[in-house]
Amino acid sequence: MTAAATHPHFTALYSDHHSWLHRWLSAKLGNASDAADLAQDTFTRILGRADLAGLHEPRAFLTTVAKGVLVNWYQRQALERAYLEALAALPEPVAMSPEERLLILETLHEIDAMLDILPPKVKQAFLMAQLDGMAYADIAAQLGMSLITIKRYMKQAFLQCLIMMENPQ
Amino acid sequence: MNASVSPKALEQAAEWLVRLQDGASSADRAACEAWRNSDPQHALAWERAERLLDKFGALPPQLAMPVLNRSPAATRRAAVTRIVALMLMAPAGWASWRYAQSQPWAGDIHTAVGEHRTVTLADGTTVTLNTASAIDVRFSATERLIVLRNGEILMRSGYAADVRPLRVATGEGTMQPLGTVFNVRRHDCSTGLAVLEGAVRVTPADAPGDARVIDAGSQTRFNQRHVAPVRDADPAMTAWTTGMLLADQMRLDELATELSRYRNGLVRVDPAVAGLRVSGAFPVADSERTLDMLVSTYPVDAVQRLRGYWITLIPRD
Repeated sequence: MTAAATHPHFTALYSDHHSWLHRWLSAKLGNASDAADLAQDTFTRILGRADLAGLHEPRAFLTTVAKGVLVNWYQRQALERAYLEALAALPEPVAMSPEERLLILETLHEIDAMLDILPPKVKQAFLMAQLDGMAYADIAAQLGMSLITIKRYMKQAFLQCLIMMENPQ
Repeated sequence: MNASVSPKALEQAAEWLVRLQDGASSADRAACEAWRNSDPQHALAWERAERLLDKFGALPPQLAMPVLNRSPAATRRAAVTRIVALMLMAPAGWASWRYAQSQPWAGDIHTAVGEHRTVTLADGTTVTLNTASAIDVRFSATERLIVLRNGEILMRSGYAADVRPLRVATGEGTMQPLGTVFNVRRHDCSTGLAVLEGAVRVTPADAPGDARVIDAGSQTRFNQRHVAPVRDADPAMTAWTTGMLLADQMRLDELATELSRYRNGLVRVDPAVAGLRVSGAFPVADSERTLDMLVSTYPVDAVQRLRGYWITLIPRD
């Protein structure tokens, strides 16, 4: 039941291409240890795929997958930086344990991913309601939009989140 | 696992969320419940909706807004500017936000939000934990250490002839009781101590030379570096052990902060009534009753959103 037994092509791909992919990522990131993680993530992402045998351009394929992994990584870094800045900007220090900080960060990642594909206006209106607890009419007034539009935005955003929610284990 | 939920049911759940969030009547709530019960798919979809609300409820708005609302191409400078702008916009009621409430992972002994409980330790010391509180008990051959990780406790030190020193530690320092009853509460970055009987020696974590002995009938606050001047103990301080909060001309926003400790969700106060002075014995563990009492006695209304997750106290028209 190992990956190698199930996917001989995967093993071949890994041993042929891991080292240049690691170098390519190191050059992009300027840091070998993050590059090692991301190279691993890249291969993990294609682990389950049945169509690896037919790859004509494995390097081009792996580069494309690795770029997606990199983009996610940059987004995560940007989110973590924004989180640290928000923590630093609080009017008075909040006593939070490392667990609390990490759990909030994880929830932020999760919600950020859910809202990622929403148009900026929809996302903004939705956050005003969910985080600030603003009434829909107030949001409509502040954004200069009709109440009907705001309600449509809310439904769109709620639905997007519900679709992306994971089921409990 | 991974029970799939029909897209139709999810869409209807999204519609219900919108309807309930935008000023729901009790008829709306009842209709939503009927919808939920009418089909297992609906129940599954609503279960997701509730978990989604829990996720938003666990996020402190001051932190989440600048992070989630950042623009994709934001430069570092732009991000900082936006955070500052958001902080300036923050309504006063945000101060009543508390996070630690629903996190029971910390501590050997802990209480849920709204719960309070008394435990007797091996040496006869009793500890009463207030809402959302957690302690670690570390008894060894050389000491009896209690670590208050969160919340508030009332301690009655045991009178057993135990030679090991008894100490209570918080992130800010340690307290060594000398045969006493005392109350300890963790604030955001300080510890509050009130001594009812006997005396307690306080040692700030970073300034062991500034240790002070606090006598019965006195209270103080300390952080890692120093101990604040001693004041007369507030006799209402331990009313929480009976589930009551005694307010004597307390600001409404302070009362809301207290109330927030005892319930999941947010209590916000409109700045127009934040400074209103209120008095009374409030059953804080029963937030519905406390709100009823406030609304019937003072010129305020309580607006509830999303099944009571968010409560905002506003001036009555």
